[in-house]
Amino acid sequence: MSTAAHEFLRNAATKSADLGHRKILQFAIDQHEAAVQRGKSRFLDWPAARQKAHEIKWEAVNHLDRYLLQFEEKVKERGGHVFWAANAEEARQYITDLAKARGVHMVVKSKSMVTEEIHLTQALEANGVEVLETDLGEFIVQLRNEPPYHIVTPAMHLTRKDIAALFREKLGTNTEDPQQLVAAARVVLREAFFKAEMGVSGANFVVADSGMIALTTNEGNGRLCTSFPKVHVAVTGIEKVIPRMQDLATLWPVLSTAGTGQAVTVYNTLVGPRLPHEVDGPEEFHVVLLDNGRSELLADPEQRDALHCIRCGACLNVCPVYRTIGGHAYGTTYQGPIGSVLTPHFRGLKDFQHLSSASSLCGACSDACPVKIDLHHHLLHNRRNAVKEGERPWAERLAFKAWRWGMAGATRFGWLGAVARFGLRAAQSVGLSGTALDPAGPWSKNHADLTVPKKSFRALWKEEHGGH
Amino acid sequence: MAATENPSRERILSRIQNALQVPAHKYSAPQGAQPIFAPIPDLLDRFQKECVINITECVVTPDRAASTAAIAQILAGLPEGEIYIQESAQLREMAASWNRPSVRWSSEGGSREVSQATITHCEALIAMTGSVLVSSACGGRGASVVAPIHIVVAGLDQLVPDLAVALAQVDERGVPKENSFLCLTTGSSRTADIEKILVMGAHGPRRLVVVIHQQ
Repeated sequence: MSTAAHEFLRNAATKSADLGHRKILQFAIDQHEAAVQRGKSRFLDWPAARQKAHEIKWEAVNHLDRYLLQFEEKVKERGGHVFWAANAEEARQYITDLAKARGVHMVVKSKSMVTEEIHLTQALEANGVEVLETDLGEFIVQLRNEPPYHIVTPAMHLTRKDIAALFREKLGTNTEDPQQLVAAARVVLREAFFKAEMGVSGANFVVADSGMIALTTNEGNGRLCTSFPKVHVAVTGIEKVIPRMQDLATLWPVLSTAGTGQAVTVYNTLVGPRLPHEVDGPEEFHVVLLDNGRSELLADPEQRDALHCIRCGACLNVCPVYRTIGGHAYGTTYQGPIGSVLTPHFRGLKDFQHLSSASSLCGACSDACPVKIDLHHHLLHNRRNAVKEGERPWAERLAFKAWRWGMAGATRFGWLGAVARFGLRAAQSVGLSGTALDPAGPWSKNHADLTVPKKSFRALWKEEHGGH
Repeated sequence: MAATENPSRERILSRIQNALQVPAHKYSAPQGAQPIFAPIPDLLDRFQKECVINITECVVTPDRAASTAAIAQILAGLPEGEIYIQESAQLREMAASWNRPSVRWSSEGGSREVSQATITHCEALIAMTGSVLVSSACGGRGASVVAPIHIVVAGLDQLVPDLAVALAQVDERGVPKENSFLCLTTGSSRTADIEKILVMGAHGPRRLVVVIHQQ
């Protein structure tokens, strides 16, 4: 088992037993769920909206080169820069070099999972640049020196008491009132927006036909980050491209409904390189298009649709595993079902295959996905691939060989059943239930002892019905 | 500035092209264009209802003179200080009766942190979501986000049913070509990051006011 798998199992066990944590999570998700239901009811035909969103992303992802080139051409035409980064290292290097060249001391960031993926903040800080997260949730987790807990709601795991204590310590406030807590953060961040020389954003969508990126925020922090600093850098995955601005008429409402239950998010912005006649805006506009494993996933025709993801977080909220263990237990940038599908592709099946089993295969994620990614089947595909590529432990492979052999003959099957019943009874009688010597050990560890029948099903059948 | 050096560009593009040689397993055929939203019988009625949900203040007036007076009343309730107004003949005319000594026009530059209010036009109003579509022509990127209150002056003829119509119209007028910034604004700045409790005015304006003159 990989280190990541060990850690995951340990975290999952701790978190699922932490009832206080589960209560906070449950509350947040219940609120969310009610809002999403209301949001969906605003559509005449939600399934048709999902289908339409799916078609747009299908068209984009399956002609990715065409639309990326179109986008690049448009951005250049308007005086912007497009940098293609094969991996995290190249993306970090480009942005830190740019910061150095422009004499940047401070960067304001709007929420972006791709920058989490490439650990941009750490790289900038190592170069002496101060980095401030400006989305309130991100700002809170940054003060706590933690990664985001949820791709949409980064501080979902914290109560207002936790946040009040944090702000008391770090900002010197003395209040538990959310209004005043937000006001305190606003003051700190306000100053930063006007002081920072560089604004870094992600992109919810990269619009090919207009050469602009689309940003969705409720707070307006994304707008401030992309309006006042003299350099704007948008960091995004290559899969975020969409063909036409017109597609946003579907994608904006679908994203916000699935993400927060709003009809549309407060600010849906399109930004590109500032034009000469405009009164404000950054002097420079850079887009970093990140591959970092995405083109390999694209080469997998079976799971290609995982690149349709618009990062709404819907699959996290409905997942019984996420709802029990929460975001941090995963130990990955992207959590929940979509994270469990993507991470083995981005960071290696060998070390992250365990995530494919962090699922009850109930399919709630696939049902919730607004772009119809076949999430739970992809978890199965990853399990199968792990077996195919010989990434499973020898003991498991041996056990399955033995199982197959045992199942293939009636006499063998009968004998093995008898041995198992004997073993179970023996373990229970000497108090070894739940240990390595118990054939049902992993089960009995957390459950009451199984009732072991005296006779097998086949023996009982024979007695009652005779013959075979 | 020199063109961006792009050592990995070709490699990434060829990886994408190679990957796409094999078609995706699941091809989901387009299922025709069934409407995803119900038609809206009364645009203004819907817009007003949505504004209530979004916590946007919507004022409907018979004509421009009435809009001018309505805005004067709102401004009278605000603290003294600079207000920022989009440069336009119509707003110049209206501003004459607002009685604010300190006005910065967008022709003088971008909006400043000291602004007490911003007054702009918009590209379109969207009935279905109660949204306002602005572009950088509406006083720049900062205008609609820096000041604590954003007042939008619009005509009823700018009200369209939905986002698809709004985007098609601005596209036709060449707005995305002439502007590096477009923003669909639906309500004012807010956050629910603390225990899902709604707090208004996170970073942007605490109030969004739309004043619509019917003629």
